[in-house]
Amino acid sequence: MKILIIEDEKELVGVIKKFLEPEGFLCETACSYFEAEDSLSSYIYDIIILDLTLPGGNGLDLIKLIKKTNKKAGLLIVSAKNSLDDKIRGLDMGADDYITKPFHLAELNSRIKSLARRRHFDGANELIFNEIKINTDSNEVLVNGNILDLTKKEYEILLYFIVNRNKVITRESIAEHVWGDNISYADNFDFIYSHIRNIRRKIEFNNGRNYIHNMYGLGYKFSER
Amino acid sequence: MRLLQKTNRTYFLISGTVFIIAGVVFYIVISFFFKDQLNEKLFHDMKNITRCIKRNGIIPNYYPFIDIREVPAQSERSFKIIDTLIFDSFERREILFRQISQICIINGKEYFIAGRDTLLEEDDLLEVIAIVTGSVFILLLVSLYFINRKLSLKIWQPFYNTLDELKEFSYDRPGFKLSSDSQLYEFTELNKTLEKLTQKVISDYQSLKRFTEDASHEIQTPLAVIQSKLETLMQYPGLKKEQAELINSAYVYTLRISKLTKTLLLLTKIANDQFPEKRAINFSELLREKIKMFEDHILEKSLTINEEIRPECILETNFFLAESLIINLIGNAVKHNIIGGKINIKLDKNHLEISNSGEPLPVNASKLFDRFYKTDKSSDSPGLGLAIVSEICRLNKWEINYIYKDDLHKVAVNF
Repeated sequence: MKILIIEDEKELVGVIKKFLEPEGFLCETACSYFEAEDSLSSYIYDIIILDLTLPGGNGLDLIKLIKKTNKKAGLLIVSAKNSLDDKIRGLDMGADDYITKPFHLAELNSRIKSLARRRHFDGANELIFNEIKINTDSNEVLVNGNILDLTKKEYEILLYFIVNRNKVITRESIAEHVWGDNISYADNFDFIYSHIRNIRRKIEFNNGRNYIHNMYGLGYKFSER
Repeated sequence: MRLLQKTNRTYFLISGTVFIIAGVVFYIVISFFFKDQLNEKLFHDMKNITRCIKRNGIIPNYYPFIDIREVPAQSERSFKIIDTLIFDSFERREILFRQISQICIINGKEYFIAGRDTLLEEDDLLEVIAIVTGSVFILLLVSLYFINRKLSLKIWQPFYNTLDELKEFSYDRPGFKLSSDSQLYEFTELNKTLEKLTQKVISDYQSLKRFTEDASHEIQTPLAVIQSKLETLMQYPGLKKEQAELINSAYVYTLRISKLTKTLLLLTKIANDQFPEKRAINFSELLREKIKMFEDHILEKSLTINEEIRPECILETNFFLAESLIINLIGNAVKHNIIGGKINIKLDKNHLEISNSGEPLPVNASKLFDRFYKTDKSSDSPGLGLAIVSEICRLNKWEINYIYKDDLHKVAVNF
């Protein structure tokens, strides 16, 4: 799957690339308005990540070009401006999703994967990790063929884990993904822990293995080991 | 004290003093002058009388004005002037007379000859002077008052206009102008200076706002880099516990700055009135929805929630701001609560009240809505939540109050 990252901050482009490439994405980058114009006119991408504040032009103008040359591409807008205006205008012009800087890489990955799933319907609505199978259309989780009875939040957390498998995911990132930006009211993240304990318990009840590992106070990692 | 009052009072005091002094001087001068005149007249009378006696012999008495009587021989013959009281049969009282007297020898006999005239009575003189000066004084005051009033209404009018316009001045509203039409130099100068001053205030405020906005934006990108680098660093296999702890603490603080700049940006935007779109919002529904959002936090602290939400409370406002207000208020009520505490949420058409159990504030409540105000200095939160709430209220012209009563922190918003 081919991704175009349009972002002028080279350091950021580097880490995004590094995070996404092991996920099986082929990443190309454009660091200015003109480079982006060039790439968009020459190649077809599956997903485009677009930073709205670019040197050389307004990112919103690029959306028009994308709609012409890369009609089928999933478009994710990134902006340093947490401005509702930009968000609404971007989505109105045909962007699929919107994320504000700074973001969690795991969150970016999850948004891109969700875009990818929506683009390719053939079987892409199923995520499989060993004995765990998630159907993202019906929001069903199967462990060894048995339907797992998860709450909405537990489901979201598990999906987030599986999408970001083999990555260390911070508690802050999980909290923001599931509860939204306003989680800063939490004194601690114990409430996440209780959800994760429930997920573990439910999976193990269906003879699944515990894949959710604690990573020293950093967060969690969903992996075989 | 108003200007008119002040000038009137000063006029009154000064003219009052002047009139009292003038009255006293008047009295002294008049009585002196009168006595002088009287003395002159009496001398004159005496001369006439003696001349008449020398020519015609004894003339009849004309008591009390002319009094001639024979007296035993005396040595003293000079003029004598005295004041004396004499009974007046008409007025039936004693009246003060000035008397000039002399002993004259007529036909070998000694005669006492006196000429008298009434002295002006002090009481009467005082009364007259008081009446005259008093009425002039009152006349002057009345005319001064009316002149003043007219002046103040006419000349000072541009000043009052400027004052009214200044009252409407707000530092966040550009294009402020004073509509000066005064011909007077002082007022045109005043308006010019004020205009310069207000323009400066507005432009300073604008640049400060722009600075906050730009600074917040500029900070976000480096923060995004730091945050994502740290997240990448976390992915390295074989991290030791110590290393992980270092990364984690750098990460947590990065997130804190990022949250802070986002909040500052939001505050600036609210202050800039960058949320103009308003629509009818079902506050009851929004409130319930947001309470549900906090259910995990509420459960975590074992809090009990009492809701008294009247359905279908519709408010015309910006959706995002309404959301922000509610989230901040409920968030505070959860965060500053005690384990096993309670939260009461009441809503009706023009009133929202959220109260929560908790320790009383260590310092005064008036600072509660200030930016960066924290009761607990070591707290992770920057103390901007209630500043945002109060900004939103200010923008919507809602009234917000805080009280601590019956072990409950109560924040009330009147729509």
